[in-house]
Amino acid sequence: MLILVPGLLTVILAFMEYDALSAPTWNGLQNFVTIFRREIFWIAVRNSLLFVGAAAPLQLVGALGLALLLHPQRPGVRQYRIAAYLPSVIPDVAYALIWLWIFNPLYGPLNKVLGWVGIPGPAWLVDRETALLALVLMACFRIGEGMLVLIAARQGMPPEYFHAAALDGGNRWQLLRFITLPLLAPWLLLLLIRDILLSAQSNFTSVYMMTEGGPGYATTMLPYLIYDEAFSHFRIGHAASMLLIMFMGIGVLLWLLYKTVGGWGYADEV
Amino acid sequence: MRLERVLWQVAAVGMALLFVAPLVWVLTNSLRPVGLPPPRTLEWFPQPIAWANYAEIFRIIPLGRQIGNSLLVSTIGAVITLITASWAGFALAQLPNRVRQPLVGLAIVLMMIPSTVVWLPRYVMFTAVGLIDSYAALVVPALMGTKSLYALMFYWTFRRVPLELFESARLDGAGALLIWRRIALPLALPTALAVLLLTFNHYWSDFVDPLLFLKSERRYTLAVGLRMLQQMDVTNWSLLLAAVVVMTAPVVLVYLVIQHFIRDEVSLSRLMKR
Repeated sequence: MLILVPGLLTVILAFMEYDALSAPTWNGLQNFVTIFRREIFWIAVRNSLLFVGAAAPLQLVGALGLALLLHPQRPGVRQYRIAAYLPSVIPDVAYALIWLWIFNPLYGPLNKVLGWVGIPGPAWLVDRETALLALVLMACFRIGEGMLVLIAARQGMPPEYFHAAALDGGNRWQLLRFITLPLLAPWLLLLLIRDILLSAQSNFTSVYMMTEGGPGYATTMLPYLIYDEAFSHFRIGHAASMLLIMFMGIGVLLWLLYKTVGGWGYADEV
Repeated sequence: MRLERVLWQVAAVGMALLFVAPLVWVLTNSLRPVGLPPPRTLEWFPQPIAWANYAEIFRIIPLGRQIGNSLLVSTIGAVITLITASWAGFALAQLPNRVRQPLVGLAIVLMMIPSTVVWLPRYVMFTAVGLIDSYAALVVPALMGTKSLYALMFYWTFRRVPLELFESARLDGAGALLIWRRIALPLALPTALAVLLLTFNHYWSDFVDPLLFLKSERRYTLAVGLRMLQQMDVTNWSLLLAAVVVMTAPVVLVYLVIQHFIRDEVSLSRLMKR
């Protein structure tokens, strides 16, 4: 029993290493040279960065907003939390189909609602200008886990802080700015890291089901390209190299994030 | 104070509507008769209600078989995960601190590494050992533990059990397996149920694995079935949405059941504090 756990974890780790190293070591650097010469790779990199750059911060802000709204214990709060969590439990395939329908420019509900308000809705997934934006938008509703984490963090804060600050005449905004947010900072950073990691790769199913990378490669992102390389063209070596680059890219992104944020807001109390 | 509470309720209801309304639309539009021209306005109630849509999707794709496949895979996957995760958690809880700390840390790091990494190595390995196009390809990874979160959930539960309890059983001559089955697992029943249900949902929702590893149509799970239906006729939204409801309903039900068993905030806060 005592050997099982390390063994188990090593096996999982071995998976990771095997994956990252196998193809490049056998094929040398030739894979990378080929990939770097292909325009589609750079398009996918650009789209991935745009997607992550938009989706991860928006998801964080959304989760924070929900947590601030739903942290007090009031009548009905449990039901509201369940409601906010619901989109996060829907299976990816079903979620993609639902949004494919919602975004339908002609008879999808979204553009009908926009029509009521008098806004002419864009063509969403059919238009290369808005397709990526649409994918970001649908990702913004799957923030249930982040919300729960932040609610837990917010509830863990001693109420005395808030009483004391209120006695000193602090208004609502000041409480938020100078007490809640600094105390939440470590959690926010952790969630942002998680959102970046997840949103960089969780977009495969939606791209596959909704746009197949189109229109005109506007939504081709790395996971879809990797899938396409490996399983439509059976260039598994290339796909593995791309995967490795993607992970190094995410690593660099997280390192940059850590460096930028490093000096800010690591509250000791938490 | 009173005004504030009213405002809060208004805001919360508005938020809840924003998150739930699309699902209600999905439900009502799945009952819209096939062949009607697309509605000009938002329809909350279809006229007449077409229950036949649900029968129809079972006719045009082998949905019954696919549901069966999904149930089979999800159940096996959930049970295997329950066993491996509880073993791992059980062992973790009894390790000396020095060894345990790095392992728990490692498990948390592993939790952050998502599934894209394993597409290729799994495909290559399954091809090598001839598991492609078998249900085994979907559930075999569970034997080695797929989600460290579940192991951690068991670890947190077992940690609260006094070690002397296991010690005394061991002195009475019980082996590790017996202690696990007779003492540890019964004590961790709520956790076990939660892990079982969470894993069930995970396997039920899984789209990429069956897409990559299954080749023959009769083995397709429901997730791939949805893709099949979409490729047949992408414009027939009533039927597609009906299939979406069939796929989503069990997951939502399971989620609501889990809600009764764990206070999610509490367990998650424990997760984040480690």
